Amino acid sequence: MSIALFRIDDRLIHGQVVVGWGKPLNIGFIVLVDDAVRANPWEQELYRMGVPAEIDVVFATTAEADQQLSAWERDPRVGILVAGDIAALARLAGNGGRVERVNVGGLHHRPGRTERLRYVYLSDAEAAELKALAARGVEVTAQDVPTASPVPLEDFT
Amino acid sequence: MSLDTQLFLLAWGTLVGLDLVSVPQMMIARPLVAGPIAGAILGDVPIGLELGVLFELFQLDILPMGATRYPEYGPATVAAVSVAHAAGNVAAGLGLGALVGLITAMVGGLTLHAIRVLNARAVHRATAALEAGDASVLARLHVTAIGRDAARAAFVTAVGLGLASVTREYLGGTLPPRGVTFLNVAAVGAALAAGTAGTLRLVGRGPGFRWFAAGVISGVVVAWLR
Amino acid sequence: MAAVSPTTRSRPPLGRCLLRLFTVQGSWNYERMQGVGMGVAEEPLLRDLRGANGGTTYHAALARGAHFFNAHPYLCGLAVGATARAEHDGVPGEQVERLRAALCGPLGSLGDRLVWAGWLPITSGLALIGVAFGLGFPAILGFVIVYNVGHVALRWWALRAGWAYGARVAMALREPVLQRATALSGPAMAFVVGVALPVVVRYLSGGFVGWSRGLLAVAAAGGVALLWWQRARLTGLRFGLALLAVAALAGGLWR
Repeated sequence: MSIALFRIDDRLIHGQVVVGWGKPLNIGFIVLVDDAVRANPWEQELYRMGVPAEIDVVFATTAEADQQLSAWERDPRVGILVAGDIAALARLAGNGGRVERVNVGGLHHRPGRTERLRYVYLSDAEAAELKALAARGVEVTAQDVPTASPVPLEDFT
Repeated sequence: MSLDTQLFLLAWGTLVGLDLVSVPQMMIARPLVAGPIAGAILGDVPIGLELGVLFELFQLDILPMGATRYPEYGPATVAAVSVAHAAGNVAAGLGLGALVGLITAMVGGLTLHAIRVLNARAVHRATAALEAGDASVLARLHVTAIGRDAARAAFVTAVGLGLASVTREYLGGTLPPRGVTFLNVAAVGAALAAGTAGTLRLVGRGPGFRWFAAGVISGVVVAWLR
Repeated sequence: MAAVSPTTRSRPPLGRCLLRLFTVQGSWNYERMQGVGMGVAEEPLLRDLRGANGGTTYHAALARGAHFFNAHPYLCGLAVGATARAEHDGVPGEQVERLRAALCGPLGSLGDRLVWAGWLPITSGLALIGVAFGLGFPAILGFVIVYNVGHVALRWWALRAGWAYGARVAMALREPVLQRATALSGPAMAFVVGVALPVVVRYLSGGFVGWSRGLLAVAAAGGVALLWWQRARLTGLRFGLALLAVAALAGGLWR
């Protein structure tokens, strides 16, 4: 195993990722998949500041991540891949087999979204996207931190 | 216990509950602080220290990140100290204090969640004014929410103190000595397990683990030498 | 948009802003998380924009200031200062939103590592050791004072740095002291809490004799294993309640 967690979280890299998941998984790298952050050097610098020096942070566009995924999977270190929206992970999952599990870690309030769980707000279109992902054989659950129990997709869409 | 003492404990528990999330987060909500001050109110600092240490271990199990849900150990420690003090001494009151405290902590966690839901509803209703940048609506929402949290903290402390007096009334003195010992062992064992597991989650399996192991070995040596 | 140069204005009300930041989580909710508190804290710094554009600049800035936000509470001032400064510098609204959004994650992760997983357990661990060694109340007082010197200093630094750097706030986070403190806090926490645990066991189990010590060791070791492997299901609280229930039952049956 190399990428131990595929996570959808609109706050991208924060405490739950670095401390909450990163510590027990003993991660060596984090892949941040977000087209806007990839294009923006000062945002990249900010995200890097939040991560311990011994953990690598790789910034990628969705297209780059699509190409690089198999290389990251061969990395001897354990990693976390985090994306800010569902579409990015839907693309990475492809036609199945590449991503077994997707963790919905946090999608927060925005106009058009309604509350599904205390840390998951979804529009109807987003709920449908998650269901489509699950229909391709990906196990989709919501779980903010490892000490919370995972919530199955049907309980929040 | 006099009414004055109960009111002082209620006031202290309210401050402690307010400190946890809302104002000012100066960590008087830590059991290690909440307990000894409650002990001082009761004129029994040693029992406050003992319960404070016990619940501080449970507190090490908690990481207050994002929208995670967690129990609230501050007012719980105040209630625990109150029942342990009534039991007369640490040997008789540690386990009973833990029992009352853990139930109160669970109630505290439930009310924290409830208040966040209530606040969300209030904020949602005020969306139009907030999007218009209305400073007075913003201030009113915020101040009301702080008031709500103060009421919540008072409620949790009152529940804890009520539970403490019920426990005093019906359980105090009825347990056989072996039962008391069992409860004490369970309390300390669970606290130790929670504190250790919580710390291990923070430390992880990386280089931090070696520092943790070095610390534990040093601690064992120090404890042995004393 | 009318830019108001901070150099030409009277001193910004950073003190009032800091006081409000102590309440930043007072209206914490699942919809905007710290958002409302952030808006309340930023408001004093935005007041001198009330004259610009018939007040629209002020109201628009305040509305942005109260949008969804979540980071470590002690570092919220950095975002409050930086966005308020960016609003004064005439940075377009959508860029201010982008700046706020981009600050959530890094300030959360930095603060969680520095404070929740660093400074707090370090000082609490030292206080536990102090109490176990019989220092009593002074150990508690020491904890409250030392912890809060760090706490208030961090809040004050964050607000001032945010205001000083505005949209270039990433530069403030390069501060070498901050970087070093964050790097050191992990190992220091692990060591201090590691020392504290056995010392505290000795303190709490002082009255236990013979078989009860053996029972304690079994309960604690079993508990750590259970809590580690069942971390998504079992919490310290549930384990504690379950163990106490078992103990009460055993004590009642075996008289």
